[in-house]
Amino acid sequence: MEKCGIYLGCNIPFKAPDIEQSFYKVFPALGVEIVDMEGATCCPAWGTAPSFDVDTWLAVSGRNITIAEAKDVDIMTGCNSCFGVMSEAKHMIDHDAERKKTFEKNLALIDRKYTGNSEVYHVSHVLYEKVGMERIREKLKYTLKQLKIAVQPGCHILWPSDVMAVKEKNTFFPTILKELCEVLGAEVPHYTKLNACCGMGAMRSTDAARSIGLVKEKLINIKEETDPDMIVTTCSSCYMQFDAAQKLLREKGEIDFEIPVFYYTQLLALCMGFDPKNVAAISETPRDAIIEKIQSEARLSN
Amino acid sequence: MAAINLTKMDQEIVQKIIDHGGKGITKCIQCNACASVCPVAKAGFPLYGRLLFRKIQTGHFEEIIEDSSSWACQACNRCTEICPRDAKPFEMVFAFRRIQANELAISTSAFTPLMNLHATGHAVYSEASKELRKKVGLPEVPVTSIANEKAQEEIRTLLDNSPMAELGIF
Repeated sequence: MEKCGIYLGCNIPFKAPDIEQSFYKVFPALGVEIVDMEGATCCPAWGTAPSFDVDTWLAVSGRNITIAEAKDVDIMTGCNSCFGVMSEAKHMIDHDAERKKTFEKNLALIDRKYTGNSEVYHVSHVLYEKVGMERIREKLKYTLKQLKIAVQPGCHILWPSDVMAVKEKNTFFPTILKELCEVLGAEVPHYTKLNACCGMGAMRSTDAARSIGLVKEKLINIKEETDPDMIVTTCSSCYMQFDAAQKLLREKGEIDFEIPVFYYTQLLALCMGFDPKNVAAISETPRDAIIEKIQSEARLSN
Repeated sequence: MAAINLTKMDQEIVQKIIDHGGKGITKCIQCNACASVCPVAKAGFPLYGRLLFRKIQTGHFEEIIEDSSSWACQACNRCTEICPRDAKPFEMVFAFRRIQANELAISTSAFTPLMNLHATGHAVYSEASKELRKKVGLPEVPVTSIANEKAQEEIRTLLDNSPMAELGIF
């Protein structure tokens, strides 16, 4: 059985643990053993150490990578930002001799050594490259036929592509998440603002109104061009933004619709028959109706 | 727009940007490709990519040091992906942000995540998560640094021995 070190970050374990639970359900069932990374910290988030000092950023990121190295596993992150932060840190450590020297000196302060043997993957990369479509298809209990999905790949999984463990053929026309949704049976139409930023993260904490403006524009574009049954993302930040912003925008009368939002492994877990009380239990935008529809007898795949 | 003479840039400021990780600053020729894909520009912040680099290159540093636009940078790297000069605009924005940070020209909203990171190893943490985790059938605390005193000590050692410690945030 393939093994992967699960790197949880901060948002998933503390804000959306049903996403975490979906990892623990789907990966072993798909033949990937999840190895816990005890003592892992924040990646560190872009607004913390990377905003102050490069070497401190590399030390904190690198410390997390050494936890996976000690267990002889690659890292699998559930958060796009964690993936971006650690991928860039690893790239810098591996390609900049001067930085590496300082990095090693910093790690020595806490008796840790870096070998460079663990690669950084995102959950969607593991599903796409290591598990593969065939294995996913074999494990499905319910099909999403005749349901329409708008996908949100998110920024930090795409750019800069030279530090990514798994690359899209065209980063401005990404297809990995689209294919992962299509294997569930769903239709995944293109929409104009596919690549547009959702406004979460640093922008949200700097200027909430401008941040919400971006997600509003994107939501309206999604609604007008695809009118989907759900929005699906592999980014925990995008997930929280799309989910919470809809409630806010509806309350202010700025949108008059509601589109359920799922993190991809939540949707996959539902299609594999896992209990929504574990894998899709926390959201601001209601999901009960679509979950009931997904796990209905009419959708049994056999 | 006046032409920028790259040999006459404010060398002190340029070097400061390079020292903080923005080594592409002398490569930027103001083509505006970065701004064409930038969420910060799209959202209407005044000091996005190209304009920020122009202010730096032409020595208008003091007038922009307090501007909060750089703190809205999503670190999405669209700019770096398409920059025809390989100047890595994202690195330049963050280099500028680091200079601001070291002068404490940062949003007050940045302090809580930093203090959380130092205390728990997590920038985002909430006690309410225990109930949420129980609700979905998980243990109240994950196996991360939040449940691991040694990990918390390690992160504090790294932070306390870094230049960040001198800012008195923790």
